[in-house]
Amino acid sequence: MSGSFELFDHTADVGIRVSADTSAELVRAAGEGLYAVIGELETTGDPQAVRLEFSADERAILLRDYLAELLVLFECEQRIAADVEVTVFDEKCLGVIGQMAVVDKARSVFFGEVKAITYHELAVRRTENGYEATFIVDV
Amino acid sequence: MGNEYTGPLERINDFSWRIPRSYKPGMRVDGIIYADDVLMNTIKQDKSLEQVANVACLPGIVKYSLAMPDIHWGYGFCIGGVAATDPEQGGVISPGGVGYDINCGVRLIRTNLTLKDIDPHRSRLVDRMFEIVPCGVGRTGKIKFKGGELKRLMEQGSPYVVKRGFGWDSDIEATEAGGALPDARPDYVSKRAYERGAGQCGTLGSGNHFMEVQVVDQVDDPKAAEAMGLAKGNIAVMIHSGSRGLGYQVCDDALKDLRDTPRKYGIELPDKQLVCAPVRSPEGERYFGAMRAAANFAWCNRQIMTHLARQVFEEVFARSAEQLGMALIYDVAHNIAKTETHQIDGKALELCVHRKGATRAFPPGHPELPPRYRAIGQPVLVPGDMGRFSYVLVGQPPAMELTFGSCCHGAGRLMSRGAAIRASKGRSIRKELLERGVIARARGRTGLDEEQPEAYKDVLEVVNAVHNSGISKRVARLKPIVVIKG
Repeated sequence: MSGSFELFDHTADVGIRVSADTSAELVRAAGEGLYAVIGELETTGDPQAVRLEFSADERAILLRDYLAELLVLFECEQRIAADVEVTVFDEKCLGVIGQMAVVDKARSVFFGEVKAITYHELAVRRTENGYEATFIVDV
Repeated sequence: MGNEYTGPLERINDFSWRIPRSYKPGMRVDGIIYADDVLMNTIKQDKSLEQVANVACLPGIVKYSLAMPDIHWGYGFCIGGVAATDPEQGGVISPGGVGYDINCGVRLIRTNLTLKDIDPHRSRLVDRMFEIVPCGVGRTGKIKFKGGELKRLMEQGSPYVVKRGFGWDSDIEATEAGGALPDARPDYVSKRAYERGAGQCGTLGSGNHFMEVQVVDQVDDPKAAEAMGLAKGNIAVMIHSGSRGLGYQVCDDALKDLRDTPRKYGIELPDKQLVCAPVRSPEGERYFGAMRAAANFAWCNRQIMTHLARQVFEEVFARSAEQLGMALIYDVAHNIAKTETHQIDGKALELCVHRKGATRAFPPGHPELPPRYRAIGQPVLVPGDMGRFSYVLVGQPPAMELTFGSCCHGAGRLMSRGAAIRASKGRSIRKELLERGVIARARGRTGLDEEQPEAYKDVLEVVNAVHNSGISKRVARLKPIVVIKG
């Protein structure tokens, strides 16, 4: 199982394209893509498990809502998901148990803030080899 | 590739264009774009004109869907878009017409200092500004507001923080809407938004936000410049920031809350990102109330940074801010929705005016202007890039008829952030700026690269388009000499 992401250009903002063998890996890699826009983030201390659940009518919206929650946890609590276990990801529901660890500001390198996960060109698709997602973050 | 606009575009005159309402089903009004031929050639390359046409489909839209010359592709609305809706005719409010950074805006503070006064202190000035003004990812300020205080701050806007000692009474009059939109509803702001905003009032942020020390390099309208206290060779401070995480979260919450609202009210939209609700609906009132609270937060944010800038100047020049003449010239919002009175077919109507990447530009004599600007018109602040120039303009009478009293807000990007970083390989943007006489500091590793001057259009092209169309008039040009960024 594997997932990866790449950043792509968008006029004033940043796009993230994610591909993965499974939908669970897609969720994990999407989170990594988001963090990569913010900086090279290092953590300190033991992670704590946090259960996150989302409901909507499409997978793309579920993924966006999850990423928006990661952004809030980073900004309000300075915690990032060191690891994630996806318990469910279908058309209606996304469940994740995130191992949330505190960001070590001294060892991290910051690039810039992410304001929001937009709905612009937001997509989750099945491909021959697994899944693909795109989303654009407002920076 | 594939994004180029291929729809109809009729030339009205040398500085404006029309997308006729016949272009697509659902358009209720024409689209009007203010740009010259050169700018239009660039504008046509992305989907922003399609977005102008989409906005023309919003229920209750009045007269036209507008775009300023710094238009570019946004989310739902284009950046540089202006749309007014009539609440009495089912007019809607749309978070996409405001943007994530609610009341992102610009303010300009004058000083009595000249370049000669500043020169020996430039390094110290930039170092102290960089230390005192929190900027960059995760930086919070020393000035903190608890839950109840944050609530009052959002209700009362700038007057609240001025009363707390973070500014002068005269700052309030020199701020659009007096730095406080009425009917703000902090109780409609989510807990998450409070949490994001808690330590961020008085912080710059990152991206294209900045604090700059600038020198007045050219004066085009001496009378208006004098009314603002600007003269050639004077030093001024420009601040560009918004409502920080609190505003971003208010927008994010609204986009989520309003997902099903168009269906509920039978509103058909050509783009889901134009999600909206009638102004006179519980959903519309909830967003409008929370947005006003976030707008007031943004004015407080820029007000506190004004206080910090004055502190830095007092320390570096060993004189009080009053002795240094550091009065606020003006503060304008460029991402906002407001209730404003406009004359439509001879009738005064209360409209909901969305300005997304557009600045209010009221003309001389407008009752909302402070007395000292009644004769010249409202100051319009148009930041350029950190290597070239920014401009001060004043609103002109045609703006009320043509653009709901609106004008451009900036230069507009020419390069994506990624392209700018790639174009910086093997170069030192900091050194290049220094060679241009600009000392710059940024927290983020790629901040200066992403924001390099070449990443932006020449703001003069944009400014000339609004000047020549009669919407606004050039007053002064300012050149950056000290820049801090997140």
